[in-house]
Amino acid sequence: MRVEYQQSLDMIEASLQEQGALVLRAVRGAMNALEAQDIELCDEVIAFDDEIDDRYHRMEKSIEELLALQAPVAADLRLVLAVLHNSIHLERIGDHAVTIAKLTKLTAAFEPRHDLVEGLREMADRAEEMVRAALDAFATRDVARARSLVELDELIDRTNRRVVGTVLSMAASPEQQEWGMRMIIVARSLERIGDKAVDIGEQTEFVATGEFHEFSDASH
Amino acid sequence: MTQMETPSIDSSRIAEISLSSSREEIERREQVFTVEDLGVAYSGNVALAGVTMNVYANTVTAFIGPSGCGKSTYIRCFNRMNDLIVGAAVTGSVRYHASDLYGREVDPVEVRRRVGMVFQKPNPFPKSIFDNVAFGPRVLGWKKGLDERVEQSLRQAALWDEVKDRLSESALGLSGGQQQRLCIARALATEPDVILMDEPASALDPIATGRIEDLMHDLKREYTIVVVTHNMQQAARVADMTAFFSVDMHEDGRGRHGVLVEYDATTKIFTQPADRRTEDYVTGRFG
Amino acid sequence: MSRQWQSRLFVGAMILSLAVSFGTLGWLLATTLIQGLPGISWQLFTAPPSTVPEEAGARPAILATVYLAVALLAMCVPVGVATAIYLEEYAHKERWYNRLLEVNIQNLAAVPAIVYGILGLAFIVRGIGVGRVLFAGALILTLVVLPTVIIASREAIRAVPDSIRQGGLALGATKWQMIWRQVLPASIPGIATGSILALSRAVGETAPLLLIGALQYVAFDPTLFGAFTALPVQIYTWVKLPDPAFQTLAAAAIIVLLVIVIGMNALAIFVRNRYRQRW
Repeated sequence: MRVEYQQSLDMIEASLQEQGALVLRAVRGAMNALEAQDIELCDEVIAFDDEIDDRYHRMEKSIEELLALQAPVAADLRLVLAVLHNSIHLERIGDHAVTIAKLTKLTAAFEPRHDLVEGLREMADRAEEMVRAALDAFATRDVARARSLVELDELIDRTNRRVVGTVLSMAASPEQQEWGMRMIIVARSLERIGDKAVDIGEQTEFVATGEFHEFSDASH
Repeated sequence: MTQMETPSIDSSRIAEISLSSSREEIERREQVFTVEDLGVAYSGNVALAGVTMNVYANTVTAFIGPSGCGKSTYIRCFNRMNDLIVGAAVTGSVRYHASDLYGREVDPVEVRRRVGMVFQKPNPFPKSIFDNVAFGPRVLGWKKGLDERVEQSLRQAALWDEVKDRLSESALGLSGGQQQRLCIARALATEPDVILMDEPASALDPIATGRIEDLMHDLKREYTIVVVTHNMQQAARVADMTAFFSVDMHEDGRGRHGVLVEYDATTKIFTQPADRRTEDYVTGRFG
Repeated sequence: MSRQWQSRLFVGAMILSLAVSFGTLGWLLATTLIQGLPGISWQLFTAPPSTVPEEAGARPAILATVYLAVALLAMCVPVGVATAIYLEEYAHKERWYNRLLEVNIQNLAAVPAIVYGILGLAFIVRGIGVGRVLFAGALILTLVVLPTVIIASREAIRAVPDSIRQGGLALGATKWQMIWRQVLPASIPGIATGSILALSRAVGETAPLLLIGALQYVAFDPTLFGAFTALPVQIYTWVKLPDPAFQTLAAAAIIVLLVIVIGMNALAIFVRNRYRQRW
């Protein structure tokens, strides 16, 4: 029954996963560019964001059509709304990747501090892990796994505080100071990516149970 | 090193998560019916006026609108069933695959073989299931291969499995939904080109309705379907193109007749209708 | 008077009417049976009439009645059904000649049978010159019951829902195909019932037969174009004779006639109930 309708629902879910894959590539690319201080790669990451945005807009249009033509209800409706929210979250993650790339471009000529870069790499790996886990949990409707993202988020936050601490204690040249401040913003972007992954996890619970809860409160 | 060059997913392939075909794509298909300035009057009373539109091959085209807007009258023009009503007069032109449907040399009986019809209330003949489906071929003189024809039609109507062991039983013993699928099988048996459906599911429960809608999706691969429905959600679910009809006052101020307000891809009608009247109707603010 | 008592009074009045009508009928039947049963024998069916009651039978009359019935059926049903089809399916109801036709048929059904007898005498027996033969009798009786058959057939045809016609035409059948394959088969039970009832009425008609010359004393078996008599006439003949034995025979013949008529009516009801179409 309603074969085409079910196919449409499956299609938007698959599309979401594909959008996720694209976004992860962007984040990976931005991080690699930062480590290698590769300006060309930065430009590619920035240009690639157009594609991510385009994906998001097409997703939005498809959902508009799906809602108008098929009038989904109950679990189907929650799924459609969750996919829409997650698409927005992914698009924001893409924007953060662009931010990192732009900052890398700005500071490409400066001398990096390796322990700081390692810390950022740690954060990036964790963030990537979180986004992957969030998308997997969504695909399998695994609420427990989605909830566990909060712990990973904790780790990112700790690393973030360490990075800020390191920058503040740097006695350095004005260039190094500028580099350090930019890296704080990079760290902040990575931390936001982690938060977005948690948001995606919250949508998993919404689809599975119909209830929406913040996994962690705003004070953190 | 360029890592972003070729993204591993070809986004153009998944391009349109298009849930229904676009208008441009549909308009490239063959025109099955070309209607120009069509009007219908019953004994002088104008029921419908000024309809101009095309029906395209292998699509489901839905006619929606409030009651009295002439959509049933309109669909009956396509198989010349209006000829049977005393005092009915059709003006304007209807072309079927580039020939004039109302031309002098055209035999209405032959038209009805090619343009089948399913009615609102299932109307199986008081005969066996087999005889019901075989009626069309028999009156046309197709005596050979009747068994295969009946089986194929019943399969296409998604009814074969349910009735294959009781073909000689009376058709009146079937449930409402089954009877309607039988009527569809009956229409398919004459190997038509187009199937007209006048509110085919309005007398059926939701499950039977769902089956008919699924059937329409399947059938449009081989046939062209035109359906009148008063349920606009149904049109949203099944139709590729949707035509919205409404009522208008006569020019002389006396009486009302039906008019075609908007005809476009279903997606457009339900997301961004061009006409205010369409918007009012689909959002349920009509009246 | 309270409403309860009004109801009860009404019920009482109905029961009284029933009692009167059934009572009278019952009394008639009873007296006939009592009088006629002794006369029932094989002889009644096998022997021709005779002046000697002990040897008399009603064979020619019974045979003639059967022949009349068959001839009647053969002529009346096709003409009646064809007319009904024309009126229901083809005629434009607003045209004046069709409306005239309708009114005429209603009237003709009410005309007393003896008028047909007179007409038959003038136009069929003498006019065409067929003579006072069985065929003429059959023809006249056909005219008597034709309006009834037409009306019954029309009702049966009209009872076929229009959706069936639309369905048939929408499949590419011509009008005639639709009528022949859908409408007629579906209305056969109604037509059959109507025909049988008409027939049972005709079988009991005496006046027109007398008028066109059914003989009162026929000792030979009837043929289509020969002189004839019929069961009602035979009864009439015997009743007039003084010999009480003939009265008994007459009563016996009446029983035979009643059995035929009631039998036919029962058949009609059976056909109607068994084959009635539930739309």
